[in-house]
Amino acid sequence: MTASATTQAHLEEPYARPKLVEGAEDFGAVTQRVCGVLERPKPPRAWYIGLAISSSLTLLLFTMVVYLIATGVGVWGNNSPAFWGWGIVNFVFWVGIAHAGTLISAILFLLRQKWRTSINRAAEAMTLFAVCCAGLYPAIHVGRIWVAYWLFPFPNQMQMWPNFRSPLLWDVFAVSTYATVSALFWFMGLVPDLATLRDRSTTRLKQVIYGFFALGWRGSARHWQRFERAYLLLAALATPLVLSVHSVVSFDFAVSQVSGWHTTIFPPYFVAGAIFSGFAMVVTVMVPARELFGLKELVTIRHLENMNKVILATGSMVGLAYSTEFFIAWYGGNPYERFAFMNRAFGPYAWAYWIMIFCNVVAPQFFWSKKIRTSPWLMVGVAILVNVGMWFERFVIIVTSLARTYLPSNWGYFKPTWVDICTFAGTIGLFFTLFLLFCRFLPMVAIAEVKGVLPAAHAHPEHPKGGHDHG
Amino acid sequence: MSPLIREPSDVSRRRFLQVMGASMALATASGCHWDSEEILPFQRRPEGRIPGTTRRFATALECSGIAASLLVTSYDGRPIKIEGNPLHPLDRGAASARSQASVLDLYDPDHSRGLVQSFEGAHYPRTWKEFDPWFVGRMASSREKQGAGLRILAEPSSSLALAALRARFAELYPKARWIEYEPCSRRNEIEGAQLAFGQALRVQPRLEAANTLLCLDADLLGEHPAALAHARAWAVRREPNQPSLLRAWVVESSLSLTGAAADQRLALRHEQVLPFVLALEARLRGEKGDDGFGRFLELVAAELLEQRGHALVVAGPRQPAAVHALVHRINATLGNVGKTLVYIEEPRPPASGSIGELVREMEAGAVETLVVLGGNPVYDAPCELEFRRALRKVALSLHLSHYRDETSRACTWHLPRAHALESWGDAASFDGTRCTLQPLIEPIFERRTPLELVAALCGEKRNARELVRAAVAPSASEAQWTRILHDGFVEGSASEPVTAALVEFARPAPAPRAFEKELRNGELELVFAPDRRLYDGRSANNSWLQETPDSITKMTWGNAAIFAAETAAALGVEDATLVTLRVGGRELEVAATVLPGQARGSVTLHLGYGRSAAGQVGGLAQENVETVGFDAYRLRESGAPDSVSGLTVVPSGKRFELARTTDPAVTDSIGRKEMEGRVEELLREKKLSEYREDPHAEHESAHTPPLVSLWQKTDSEGARWGMAIDLSSCIGCNACSVACQAENNVPVVGREQVIRGREMHWIRIDRYFTGPESAPHVRFQPLTCQQCEAAPCEEVCPVAATMHSAEGLNDMVYNRCVGTRYCANNCPFKVRRFNYFNYHKAIEAEGAEVQRMLYNPEVTIRHRGVMEKCTFCVQRIQAAKIHAKNEGRALRDGEIVPACAQTCPTQAIVFGDLSDPQSVVSRRHADPRGYALLAELNIGPRNAYLAKITNPHPALEEHDG
Repeated sequence: MTASATTQAHLEEPYARPKLVEGAEDFGAVTQRVCGVLERPKPPRAWYIGLAISSSLTLLLFTMVVYLIATGVGVWGNNSPAFWGWGIVNFVFWVGIAHAGTLISAILFLLRQKWRTSINRAAEAMTLFAVCCAGLYPAIHVGRIWVAYWLFPFPNQMQMWPNFRSPLLWDVFAVSTYATVSALFWFMGLVPDLATLRDRSTTRLKQVIYGFFALGWRGSARHWQRFERAYLLLAALATPLVLSVHSVVSFDFAVSQVSGWHTTIFPPYFVAGAIFSGFAMVVTVMVPARELFGLKELVTIRHLENMNKVILATGSMVGLAYSTEFFIAWYGGNPYERFAFMNRAFGPYAWAYWIMIFCNVVAPQFFWSKKIRTSPWLMVGVAILVNVGMWFERFVIIVTSLARTYLPSNWGYFKPTWVDICTFAGTIGLFFTLFLLFCRFLPMVAIAEVKGVLPAAHAHPEHPKGGHDHG
Repeated sequence: MSPLIREPSDVSRRRFLQVMGASMALATASGCHWDSEEILPFQRRPEGRIPGTTRRFATALECSGIAASLLVTSYDGRPIKIEGNPLHPLDRGAASARSQASVLDLYDPDHSRGLVQSFEGAHYPRTWKEFDPWFVGRMASSREKQGAGLRILAEPSSSLALAALRARFAELYPKARWIEYEPCSRRNEIEGAQLAFGQALRVQPRLEAANTLLCLDADLLGEHPAALAHARAWAVRREPNQPSLLRAWVVESSLSLTGAAADQRLALRHEQVLPFVLALEARLRGEKGDDGFGRFLELVAAELLEQRGHALVVAGPRQPAAVHALVHRINATLGNVGKTLVYIEEPRPPASGSIGELVREMEAGAVETLVVLGGNPVYDAPCELEFRRALRKVALSLHLSHYRDETSRACTWHLPRAHALESWGDAASFDGTRCTLQPLIEPIFERRTPLELVAALCGEKRNARELVRAAVAPSASEAQWTRILHDGFVEGSASEPVTAALVEFARPAPAPRAFEKELRNGELELVFAPDRRLYDGRSANNSWLQETPDSITKMTWGNAAIFAAETAAALGVEDATLVTLRVGGRELEVAATVLPGQARGSVTLHLGYGRSAAGQVGGLAQENVETVGFDAYRLRESGAPDSVSGLTVVPSGKRFELARTTDPAVTDSIGRKEMEGRVEELLREKKLSEYREDPHAEHESAHTPPLVSLWQKTDSEGARWGMAIDLSSCIGCNACSVACQAENNVPVVGREQVIRGREMHWIRIDRYFTGPESAPHVRFQPLTCQQCEAAPCEEVCPVAATMHSAEGLNDMVYNRCVGTRYCANNCPFKVRRFNYFNYHKAIEAEGAEVQRMLYNPEVTIRHRGVMEKCTFCVQRIQAAKIHAKNEGRALRDGEIVPACAQTCPTQAIVFGDLSDPQSVVSRRHADPRGYALLAELNIGPRNAYLAKITNPHPALEEHDG
């Protein structure tokens, strides 16, 4: 329906830019639509079902974590030679997903891609939730969780610094910085909307809570001026982080001397892969969400199509990276590296490799077709494939490389345990639990920002955008 | 009817004690173990005893009547580490994996801690105080009957003290009989000598004098009682810079250590060895003809003739007497006797009667009292005898045993047997050298030795120490006796070589069988061999041994029927599946494994597994502790204890996971190809001819671009510790691995964890097969931490828990370790081990005080969640440094010996200071054979490997590896 409407409009007026938002033409309607989701007395049934499933999985996650801490990392399938297994695979997987939010918020903001406004809030929230899931893994995968804080540089009676040569330490800084800036960025963007919610709240409790977090926002011109300035600054600050965090994560591998890890292509390749998986996750989550909460007019097919284009582009980059790796493995003449790649594709883990290739390289190519690119459920199918593929990419990189390193007598095979599986399922549960709660209690679409891209905002250039509209 | 103690209630026992009170005086037959002044309270410190320092005592262990001479380290009165006795002429400081691991048994909670009486299916704990008076009375009444109905079933022993008591026993109980039995005996060898010489002689191979060695199913380097001495001689004779190198030819059905080390090996069915020897003898006589043994036989015969007087032919214990007799004749013909081998008299007295006769007597009800001294006949007696059933017909059966094992549980009495480290005794080494056993510790749970029990039987009033002294050195002065105990053996007591004339014997009947073209199920042979770790099963409850990977199969925690690839393919048997073996109307389901080098049509199953009452480690049916491996004894009859033909194999296809430490799943073609390629580079080898041509010739693929490091190289202060491992010498015997386990408190993780790939050994021995499956080339490579100078592990540890010491050691700081495991990922050798669980949980439990006594206090016990690895025995380095400093001198080369190097029977491992160009280790590093593993990574390993030099026959070179 909406897709055809967009197409129709485009046909009628071929040189005009398609509208970013459909249906809701004025500020009030946007506010009404977004806040309406939160102000409904009851969320849709599907929300309850979703929350029941995901919160059960979250409970499972906590059980698994307690079991792990009480018993030892051995409850996972990690062994020698694969000292890292699903723990780190999942960590990198979630960090990758965490990429989309900040990319959409910061980089697209700086590039003045206005279409981002409808999706940036949800994407940023996803980023945060994915970082939560990601951050959990390195913390619990260490042997002695109770001293994991030694990874942070802090003054101590041992007079010990951490080892600044270790990429794992860089990782700690990169991920924690990223998490902090993403949270800050997200929260700052929320402030005007929280004020809107505060002002619309009918119960005292809501007023107090939203009011507390709205930080006394009154929507004055001075507020808006400072807000925009700060938002721009944070966007500029977050932009390098988008590139740095996954580059640093990739250093964990690239700086080591494990064949199959030790390649200079890793930073750009990881960043491309992360954007790829992050966008795929946004599509996976946003399509059902807009359906469920009636936000189709704000999050239009055009938004989704744009994201699919990014998925297609980054997916192709990832494919290029895969082939480059192979080429370099052959061209570089390092027999160990050559074997590592041959082993990936044709060794005992070939099944994982070809799943990865299919999901990451083949599946996104469907997005060349406009039909698939613009049909919500078809794109979800592709996006889910991409998510699966990106998980397997990390599995292939980490596990297949470790399983067969230098001395053949060490070669082994990694098999996950039920705890591995339950823990991963648990983080998926945690992610969706947080997301569903977010959908219910916070504005899923950045109200203020969407208003900024409405035609109405430009009809009266003397007005500060969207400034007069709450209350 | 139960003897005397009719009801197990306290009341009646008291009544009994009142009745028997008069004989209490006799109950103290076993006396004190220490010199009396040693057990005084330490109000005054005994001379030479400094708290916290270790003391070392020489003692011995007896296995199958052969002594291993040991030097045991004791810490505050508790033995913690067993090493070989450096003074002993045969062992020279080396100890086998099994000897070393026996210290674990001493503290094993399953090691029996008290007497148990079984009465009508119920079991009652008893004490010696209860037992002794009753037993003495019982024996007194038996003596009145001249011992009629009394039988002793003992393990063979070379103890003089026991022999003296045995003579006394025969006087006191003329109608009693003393039977010796053990499952893996030297019977064939003795019978072979009887056949050839008319007397029991023992071959003393002198490898050091041989240029050519032909082993016929004889594992001189592994299974032989004097393997340690042979291994040392082997290493000496394989040093490549001598004019003539030993060349080894091996004919055997399943790969042994000697077979793995051999230059030329022929895989032959066990039953084909006799035809082979017959053909060989014919060849040596100059007869020609097609005997079906190909070029191998032709060439070995030619070489034996050429090396007359410098050749040595040895037959193994599982070959029939005829093979031994023929081998004696061949050696005599070649003029080898007196040069490459000598004969000594077999020192053991002949046993009176076989276990078969005993069982018949038992079945007939002629045995009233059976005293079983050690052994475990219920488990390991020939299966058709059904010893357990016969035992039920014996009114009173006593089993003196280390464990409450299968036999103990079937006897009416179980008596706890003292561990060798808490015993007085004596035994003879393989060369006849008289060794003494002295206790390092008062028996922890009032356990007794067979000697003490027999002494009680004979009413002997002297204690064990006096008995031993009287038997070993009756006329020695106090000083001489102290000297003997100090040395652990009587100097110069080795048996004198004897000359013996061959007697005529009939040419053994079996005509050489033609090699069957087709493998026919039902015509296979099954070979029973003692396990390389558990031996006949007596070490089944020793977790160190259970977890030591077998040298060849790399299997831990279990055995499996070994098939050749060809046999397996023909029968449809797959590796790691269950198969049913059917032979002689019996059948057994076992795991199968496919191993290169196995003779076609021959299946080997190692003995010693499938115990049902070994303990918490080896299996305990009563407490639902799963057994380990499969019990080969169930197929082993007295008529065919070594091998049996007519085996049918029924594959089931059911998977059975084998706990192997080397990934057997390298079945994919790219993995296999890569592995074979890498092996050439990682375990370098040269043929002697090539080496002699140019010892400095670089290995083909050893070229690397100039190496540039990111990091600044820091000069170390003082010593630069390094190690060198000679692959020419290493025979893969596992002694180093167990030594390390004992020294460094390396935990045992169990079968499931090994399957997961989480074994903890700090030194492991990599084993590779190259070449064709039927004639594989075997290579061993012991791997410790390489103590890299630019250690990849150190760079990636986020908390700096692994750091470089000033002396270049890669130190591991357990306290600082968080357990990210990044170091292990980045270690190209994968020598780092991670504590995935708390593997020491058992000793934290209440009541584990005895188990805790085992641990080396010099080495931290690692917590769960931390990484650990080889430290080059840093505690030994520090101890030696302190010692040298106290004496105000510099360290001497060779003063620091890590545990692995100390015990290595071939001295393949050398440790020392690389900053001293004169040290042995420096010279080895500079050796043209020396190379560093993965040097192209620019990590600067402190270990050098010395390339293996092989000595294949020129005519067969192309077939070799």
